Amino acid sequence: MTGFHLGTDKRATLDEAAALVPSGATVALGGGLCARLPMALVRALVRADRDELHVVGSAHSIDVDLLIAAGAVGVCEESYVGFEQDLGLAPAYRRAAETGTVAVRESCCVTVLTQLRAAEMGLSFLPVRGIKGTDMEALHPEYRRVRCPFTGDELVAVPPLAPDVALLHAPIGDAAGNLHLDQPYVLDERFAHASRMVVATVDRLVPTSEVVAAGVTIPGHTVAAVVEAPFGAHPASCYPGYAYDRPHLAGYLAAAAAGGSQLASYLDRYVHAGEDAYRAEIDVARLTSWSTCDTAWQELFG
Amino acid sequence: MRWTLDEWFVVALARTIGEGEVVFHGFASPCAQVAMHVAKRTHAPGSLLVEGATYAVDPVPVFVPPTSNDLALHRDATYRMRFEEFFDAACRGAIDRMFLSGGQIDGYGNTNVTAIGGLPHPKIKLGGGGGGCNISATIGALTVWTTRHRSGRTLVRHVDFLTDIGHRTPEGDRAELGYPGRGPEWLVTELGLFDFVDGHARLRTLFPDVTLADVDAATGFELRVELVDGLLPPPTEAELEAVRAVDPLGVRRSEFGPDELRRTFP
Repeated sequence: MTGFHLGTDKRATLDEAAALVPSGATVALGGGLCARLPMALVRALVRADRDELHVVGSAHSIDVDLLIAAGAVGVCEESYVGFEQDLGLAPAYRRAAETGTVAVRESCCVTVLTQLRAAEMGLSFLPVRGIKGTDMEALHPEYRRVRCPFTGDELVAVPPLAPDVALLHAPIGDAAGNLHLDQPYVLDERFAHASRMVVATVDRLVPTSEVVAAGVTIPGHTVAAVVEAPFGAHPASCYPGYAYDRPHLAGYLAAAAAGGSQLASYLDRYVHAGEDAYRAEIDVARLTSWSTCDTAWQELFG
Repeated sequence: MRWTLDEWFVVALARTIGEGEVVFHGFASPCAQVAMHVAKRTHAPGSLLVEGATYAVDPVPVFVPPTSNDLALHRDATYRMRFEEFFDAACRGAIDRMFLSGGQIDGYGNTNVTAIGGLPHPKIKLGGGGGGCNISATIGALTVWTTRHRSGRTLVRHVDFLTDIGHRTPEGDRAELGYPGRGPEWLVTELGLFDFVDGHARLRTLFPDVTLADVDAATGFELRVELVDGLLPPPTEAELEAVRAVDPLGVRRSEFGPDELRRTFP
């Protein structure tokens, strides 16, 4: 990031937050796999009709796939997009890659991490030991081979990655944008410091004292805007609040795989109808039942 | 005592873990994930286990859920590594073993988890490799596995896209590339078990309901064979109990086709 974001009241609406993310922006998506994804912001970007976004990150799922399904992505530089053994390949990503409508610049978790660190440190590159011998270099003409001046080893130099914006979701945060996260933080801390700004949603906006008591993971001076969006990570999990919504995800995958009118119906019902309507559809009792007993928790995945 | 192929397969993976090793599995790898806990609860209690995608150290999962970044996986962990803390350890060689699979695997143990048909024009875009592209170069040893050997499409002469490093790539072997990791040590499939000599896979044993002709028909790379007895003993009661206790939902079974799931022993 180029500078700190000062101020004590950065509260915004989802529409105001989406306005900070123009078409064509390089966007880091927080969370990982199907946990703590910034889904309310993803839905807001689709409603705002963004396109040609360049998404970067590690291992992701419905956040990237939904943006692609809605035609919002031009370049995908994630290390993985999919639904693991549970629900399989990501349908919109797969179709876009196979038909060439999204440029696939698949990356590796270590490479992305190293590039973020270069940006955090204000450096023009950092080296990694791997990549050589793989086909990953062919996807990234920006990488360069360099020789270590101390050992003579040939390494791969990768340029800094400074996203225009990092979209993060947290269970709690305050009006100044101080956020508390539970582990695993995945790349959220690195995204916050490497990006020009964080745009955040929180399940609950709380007084500063409560975030400080829980522990500030993402400091407010990296955050440009914060939106209170209950269930803002849904259908991903955001413990301790709510678990992974497997039936919703399965419904999304069926709609995205079918495309056409089924995908359009999903988008109408769950995205274009707005976040209040979205929240009204969530089976809150079910997704919060995980904490009552281990059997109830296990049944959420049955 | 009866057991199923998926149970025996997980036990075979578990036995590739040595006592006292630091081991890691990636996401989308339920068989390897269950295997690590089985090893920890049976022959390798002194191993240090890093649970993939949560980076939790030595957790006792409530159960294995079908998504690998879930709170159920980090119960009772002694510590939770940061993402960068784990990958730094892997890059500097502090992790002894990682499990890797792939849509395609060649005879050198290189894997393709990126795209069938390669990029930029894939026939099937797979999910992607996570961190494997870098850390397969530096982690001590790799256990490679597939549950789709019989398809004939998985063990191939050439991978369409080389995502993770085996013993030798078109650009050279590990020594020539400057990679300190020792590379693939075992390749476990639903048909049998391979080790690696001179950087190439060698079939060492078959599951008892599999013939050499089955393996020959399903293997695209040059099939080198040197069978020995005793490499795949039946699971012990303790191992089976551990598999069933760690994975009550049977998430490991999602890696297998329906015919393989019907295989029971003895």
